[in-house]
Amino acid sequence: MYKQKILIIEDDPAISNLIKTTLETQNYQYHTAKTGSEAIIDAVSYNPDAIILDLGLPDMDGVTIINKVRSWTNTPIIVVSARSEDQDKVEALDAGADDYITKPFSIDEFLARLRVALRRKNSEGEKSDTNNSVYVNGGLKIDYVAGCVYVDENEIHLTPIEYKLLCLLAKNTGKVLTHNYILKEVWGSVIASDTPSLRVFMATLRKKIEKDTSNPQYIQTHISVGYRMIKV
Amino acid sequence: MDDFRPSPEVFLREINIQDNKNSIEGKLKIFFGYAAGVGKTYAMLKAAHQAKKEGIDVVVGYVEKHQRPATLALLKGLEIIPEKEYKYKGITLKEFDIDKALERNPKLILIDELAHTNAEGSRHKKRYQDIKELLRAGIDVYTTVNVQHIESLNDVVEAITGIAVNERIPDYVFDYADKVSVVDIEPEDLIERLKEGKVYKEIQAQRALGNFFTKENLAALREIALRRTADRLNRTAVNEGHENAVKAKEHILICISSSPSNERVIRTAARMAEAFHSKFTALFVETVESKELQGDNLKRLRKNIHLAEQLGAEITTVYGDDMALQIAEYAKISGVTKIVMGRTNHKTGVVFHKKNLADKLIECIGNIDIYIIPDNQPLYKPKKMSVKKETFSFSWIDIGKMLIVLVISTLTCLIFAKYNVSEANIITVYILGVLITAVWTNGQMYGAISSFLGVLTFNFFFTDPKFTFNAIDPSYPITFFIMLMSSIISSSLAIKVKKQAKLSAQKAYYTEILLGTNQKLQKGRTEEEILKIAAGQVSLLLNRPVLYCLSPKCNKIKFNIFDNSEKNVINDYTTLEEYGVAEWVLKNNKHAGASTNTLPNAKCLYLAVRGASGVLGIIGIPCDKYPLLDSFEKNLMIAIINECGIVLEKKHISDEKYAMEMEAKQEKLRANLLRAISHDLRTPLTSISGNALMLMENNKYFDDNKKNEIYTVIYDDAMWLVNLTENLLSITRIENGTININLQPELIEEVFQEALKHIDRNKVNHTIKVDIDDEFIMAYMDARLIIQVIINIVNNAIKYTFDGSEIILSAKRIGDTVSIKISDNGNGISDQSKEHIFDMFYTASQGKADSRRGLGLGLSLCRSIILAHKGKIDVYDNIPNGTVFEFTLKLVEVNTDV
Repeated sequence: MYKQKILIIEDDPAISNLIKTTLETQNYQYHTAKTGSEAIIDAVSYNPDAIILDLGLPDMDGVTIINKVRSWTNTPIIVVSARSEDQDKVEALDAGADDYITKPFSIDEFLARLRVALRRKNSEGEKSDTNNSVYVNGGLKIDYVAGCVYVDENEIHLTPIEYKLLCLLAKNTGKVLTHNYILKEVWGSVIASDTPSLRVFMATLRKKIEKDTSNPQYIQTHISVGYRMIKV
Repeated sequence: MDDFRPSPEVFLREINIQDNKNSIEGKLKIFFGYAAGVGKTYAMLKAAHQAKKEGIDVVVGYVEKHQRPATLALLKGLEIIPEKEYKYKGITLKEFDIDKALERNPKLILIDELAHTNAEGSRHKKRYQDIKELLRAGIDVYTTVNVQHIESLNDVVEAITGIAVNERIPDYVFDYADKVSVVDIEPEDLIERLKEGKVYKEIQAQRALGNFFTKENLAALREIALRRTADRLNRTAVNEGHENAVKAKEHILICISSSPSNERVIRTAARMAEAFHSKFTALFVETVESKELQGDNLKRLRKNIHLAEQLGAEITTVYGDDMALQIAEYAKISGVTKIVMGRTNHKTGVVFHKKNLADKLIECIGNIDIYIIPDNQPLYKPKKMSVKKETFSFSWIDIGKMLIVLVISTLTCLIFAKYNVSEANIITVYILGVLITAVWTNGQMYGAISSFLGVLTFNFFFTDPKFTFNAIDPSYPITFFIMLMSSIISSSLAIKVKKQAKLSAQKAYYTEILLGTNQKLQKGRTEEEILKIAAGQVSLLLNRPVLYCLSPKCNKIKFNIFDNSEKNVINDYTTLEEYGVAEWVLKNNKHAGASTNTLPNAKCLYLAVRGASGVLGIIGIPCDKYPLLDSFEKNLMIAIINECGIVLEKKHISDEKYAMEMEAKQEKLRANLLRAISHDLRTPLTSISGNALMLMENNKYFDDNKKNEIYTVIYDDAMWLVNLTENLLSITRIENGTININLQPELIEEVFQEALKHIDRNKVNHTIKVDIDDEFIMAYMDARLIIQVIINIVNNAIKYTFDGSEIILSAKRIGDTVSIKISDNGNGISDQSKEHIFDMFYTASQGKADSRRGLGLGLSLCRSIILAHKGKIDVYDNIPNGTVFEFTLKLVEVNTDV
């Protein structure tokens, strides 16, 4: 069986060990890098399926690494950060990271995020084959050509903005999209006054497609960061 | 005109230059002579060469070109700053270039002719102002001046020589010079020199000789010059000694008026004040009439006030109609010892002979000396003239009003006549009508006209033979006369009352503003707010928009405007030129701009709000489209601004004190925190490390159950540490006040969900419900911190209530806030505990042995977070039992129309 390869970029041995042990138990292959420069070389030579990146590296800014890696590959990047680096997290996501996880994190959560990231990478491969005129994610179906959305085979009616939002999230399934990114894509500009509107549209959209809004199935909220469509 | 205005860049450069220097003022040395040609410039240049020899950095700023060749030869070897050219009405004028001088920044600069008036478009009107600026910049100045240019001696010199001198300097410039060197030669030698053509060119010399340079004149001038110098020495000695004690002895008062002779009175009084070394006050009594002064009279009044100011008088304004009484009152209160006044020409008429002011004053005042300066000027009656011109303004409305009153009175009288009411009553009705007319209309004339018409109609309708203007009864003319007189007198009385009411209303208005200012200023919470209030008061006082700006710490001035009108005029006053003037004020701590002598081309008058440490702010008064300020308004305005300066200063000090206290408090807090943490961290850490060690060493002796138990303990303690770390992190973020909080609109529902995720529901046997009436309700918050608040309160509720209790999270919109409640149905909290529940290191289980699970940080942190969000947090009893925690956040108004 093909073992998926994970590149761990982390300078703290304890956390690095914890991740390594976890990956071992779950049957992943892994490689570790302790510095940013080392990490970039490994990202090329090791050709990983996903990258775990700690933002607090001694030699290089995490965002720089993401920019460099993104310049040639779309490999999913999961950022590991401490709470105090809230702003860095958003910057990292805007630079192209897929997801983030905050220290201290539980192993279960970590593995779940990793699976989501890997699934995105796989589905990307499939997508290029089909003409991707139809998006299917569990019970959610978007017909891009007709501009129709179905939940469990029932058509639902969305306002133009809600539809745009849903499409944007769907096209980036598995990726955390920051508020600013969504505002730029859907509203065309980043104006602070639009932020409340974004929250409201997202809430109404969710009301329409989620069965249980307090335990959402498709759209995940990342408080003060953004939203993400989960591959069910 | 605008072309002449120096560019702001020049100012900025100059300001930068000034910044680099220390703040020690330069020294001023005046070479003082009694006439042109005595050799002042020569002496000055000699001194400069001497200074240069001593290694001092000397430059020549400006030297008159009509000097003797011997003098001009002395310029050799000295660096000369090139003059600046001003084009004015086709003539090119060469002037001293202050910007270049400041840029060059020498140790010593020579500038000839202290009393010179600068060309239109220069920064300052007068050269002595240039010199003052140089001194402030720390540059020493040598300059020259002749005795006839000194303000207080101006009229004496004129009396002697018969030549009026327009270029004058205020006495204080001369008196406060650091050194005065008298350049003296015998008058004969001077005349000799003049004849040789050393001073002026041939033709000019002849004329000068005839008019001015007579031996007698020169001798007199020389005497004045020498005496003035001696006076200055005396004065300096007095000033250095016990200034206040001497000043307190004598207090000279003069009254300012618009009379042309007033100028002489002011000068005489100033000389007296000088001789007695006394305090010197110029009093202006503002009366109904003086309010209405116009044209030349107003100009003269302003000039007189300005002159008094220049001669060192303190200007005071009082209100009232009775001049003598006002002066007397003021003199008594202020401890005036001598009053100097001109002989007034205010006698009016023969029949109603008024006592003149001096006589009245003598009556009012007991033991104050009154000096009367005789007046040779032609009779001067400004008031009568101007009042008449002013008051009789023809208006159809007033005519109409007058006629209506007349008709009504006549109709009333006709009715009275029908019922045979006596003539006396009819006359009374007419007088009443006149009174009403006088009060109702504007201007004395209507009252008078109405009086005449009243008498005529009375004659026409009510005297026999009726409906003619004839009267048979010989006593009628007397009746008519008395009727006319009484109606005229009553109408003029009514008008006077009306005017006085108006005056006192205005006075009350001003007083109200002044009184209100202090109260309002105290309410200002920030410096910006205080300044804004002051600007508001000034705007109210002067009835125009007012610009204001706090002293910028490092960046540029940015004006705000206080404007009651709807028009947006700020852009008119925020041009680069205007900012240049404001920068100058900021740097020099002097008033400048319109109506001053510095940069008078500006649109606004800029005033510095001063504190002990320098300029605290700037207030700009637009003057271009508004009436000129009178001295009373100016005084009030300055009083308000000074008040503002004091309050700002106080605020500054108390802010600093507060910051220091806060720092001390935080220091203490940190120490407490560290102590508490180091104690509380040990417990879980001991448990974790101990249990881990146990597992490592005795692994095989434990069965799976026991192992699981130990794992759970380790995990729980680790989680407790995680929670503690979160709280500590939050504390470091908010302990510096609100600086680090990042307010974003967030959906309350999402925040609740996120918070509840962090509470391990599986481990808890409590029911947690969420109740939000509006699912889109949003508030501004730092989501991380607010989630922390919710977690802390919910965890607290879980900790202090029994299993199975119910916890409800709810959010409701109240006005423009969102109220969030977290309630439980546990045992509730005692009232005593409620008081302390938000204190740091307070735990409800205080005194119990097992206090390990609470550091007493959680709720205290909640309060800090909510306060940092400018919200409120409160705790009260739930009904029927339990506790409610409630806090508020600012609501987000959602606009979903896209």
